[in-house]
Amino acid sequence: MTAQRLKWLGVAAVAAGLGLAPVLLKFFGGLFWINVIAEILIWSLLAASVNLLLGYVGLLSFGQALYFGFGMYGVAIGISQFGLGLWPAFFLGIAAATAMAAVAGAIAVRLTWHYFAIITVVFSLIFYFVAMSAKSITGGDDGLSFSAPPLWKAAGWLLTDRTVQYYFIYLVCAACFTGMAFLIASPLGMRFNAVRDNEQRASLIGINVYYTRWIAFVISGLLAGVGGALFALFGRYASASYMFYHVSGEAVVWAIVGGIGSLLGPLVGTALLILFRELVSGLWENYLIAVGAFVILVVMFAPRGIVGIFSDLVEGRDRRKADARAALRNLAEAE
Amino acid sequence: MDLVIALTINGLVWGLIVALIALGLSIIFGLLDIINVAHGDFFMVGTVLALVIAGTTGFWIALVLVPLLGLAMGLVVERLIIRPTISAASLTIVTTFGLSMILQETVRATFGAQPRRMAAPIQGTIPLFGLEYDVYRLFAAAFAALCIVAFFLFLSRTTLGTWIRAVRQDRETATALGIPVVRVCAFTFGLGTAMALLGGAIAAPITTVEFRTGVDILPVSFMAVVIGGLGNLKGTVAAAVLLAVLEGLISSFADPTLARITSLAVMCMVLLVKPRGLFAGATR
Repeated sequence: MTAQRLKWLGVAAVAAGLGLAPVLLKFFGGLFWINVIAEILIWSLLAASVNLLLGYVGLLSFGQALYFGFGMYGVAIGISQFGLGLWPAFFLGIAAATAMAAVAGAIAVRLTWHYFAIITVVFSLIFYFVAMSAKSITGGDDGLSFSAPPLWKAAGWLLTDRTVQYYFIYLVCAACFTGMAFLIASPLGMRFNAVRDNEQRASLIGINVYYTRWIAFVISGLLAGVGGALFALFGRYASASYMFYHVSGEAVVWAIVGGIGSLLGPLVGTALLILFRELVSGLWENYLIAVGAFVILVVMFAPRGIVGIFSDLVEGRDRRKADARAALRNLAEAE
Repeated sequence: MDLVIALTINGLVWGLIVALIALGLSIIFGLLDIINVAHGDFFMVGTVLALVIAGTTGFWIALVLVPLLGLAMGLVVERLIIRPTISAASLTIVTTFGLSMILQETVRATFGAQPRRMAAPIQGTIPLFGLEYDVYRLFAAAFAALCIVAFFLFLSRTTLGTWIRAVRQDRETATALGIPVVRVCAFTFGLGTAMALLGGAIAAPITTVEFRTGVDILPVSFMAVVIGGLGNLKGTVAAAVLLAVLEGLISSFADPTLARITSLAVMCMVLLVKPRGLFAGATR
């Protein structure tokens, strides 16, 4: 089996495992964990938005929480102020995040590397402070609570049913990751890589570097927005504190720990760190010390992330096989 | 009018302290090419250590001891977590982010989560532009300014300072000339950390002391570094003072959040119009 096939098998196994999670957890009587998994899926979209920019286009954004926040507030304000149904509010949130990313991106992608990282964090800080002070609309630090309208009235699907809620989140996330897989394999995805690897060469072969980066920025804002919209529906709550730069920073950490430049790296990183936090926080009050140390150790010993270790193993196995074949051929020729 | 003057002078005082911290950030950034997310927490550790040490031995000893502890801390941090990950800038963001979590949580576990205030070591006020102004704040501004001058003298007049400038300018040539580049980098990280802790010690009596203050100071110092121009140290100082005075002025007639938003907007403009910093070409 080739490395490529093994990797897709891994992706399929993860997808199937997550799809069966509610059934399995119900069987073993641990349905509490279903909400933890749902939360991991939601946050993994934010990490995936970091990964799309850093892993495929080579831009480090430290402000993805802004688009997460727009998705979150789009849903919260849509439901609580405009009285929208679930789906219209959901799409309002995503549209708001994407529009914000389109505007911010048009300015931000003129810069690269350090300057890009800094201007994205500045944008997110501006709107963080705006959201904090506009208490009448956003609820500021205290946040905005609302009750979610039904997912599908006729069928009686409500988000208060944990299993229904989980499958809603699971399907949306699966759609996002599938879309991202197609995007990466598409000609546009190839252009992303070309821009990441060598900006000059990319522009010489006729790629519009600015436009390519902008598109990536908008799509990554959309991903973060979907995450934010799901998060608002999941918690029936939105708060300005989720727009702070610490949230963006955490997403960067999750993506890098999982392994950037790989489809499921962000999901793996997010899952690992959230599960680690869940486990340690029950045992030790100051569990954040352990989380910090853990993060440092992972990037020190696995600079390509957790998925990097896995692909090294798989590719190493492939290379060994190829080496063996070559050795055999040489031997045959010598005889 | 009194309020405007008071807030402007407050801005000036705060700006000089921020300048000291931002200079530390800037030399680390310029020499090691890493974005140090934990720099704000170094400041926070400085305020906490100053409060604790001042409680037992008095403030003046704390003011000497804290930067020395900062130097030691910076050297340890550099050796343990910066040097192994220096090869990729994105990795150092993760390691310094982890460090920031460790520092904040350690302080919360040992010092407590309750914000505390510290009595100023110099009590009393003096008349200044028609209002009674705290003596300690003036001392803090003067002391911070003195430290900044000392830092620039160190860079231009001592061998070690010359080495730092040489490595900044051209790492390979510096190596070829026999400058111990790795050790110069380690020392620079220590020095930058010490400056953040010193800033914390100076600021401790005029700010609240708690485990979260670093989160606020980090964006402000980054703004000073960027508006001043990455790598332009004198620009950093000018930008820090300018931003703090601007924020002081605006917050005299509007709320502080609006002041913060304004300075962020200024920063956006600078990044887009003059990415090399406001003072590009003026100094250097």
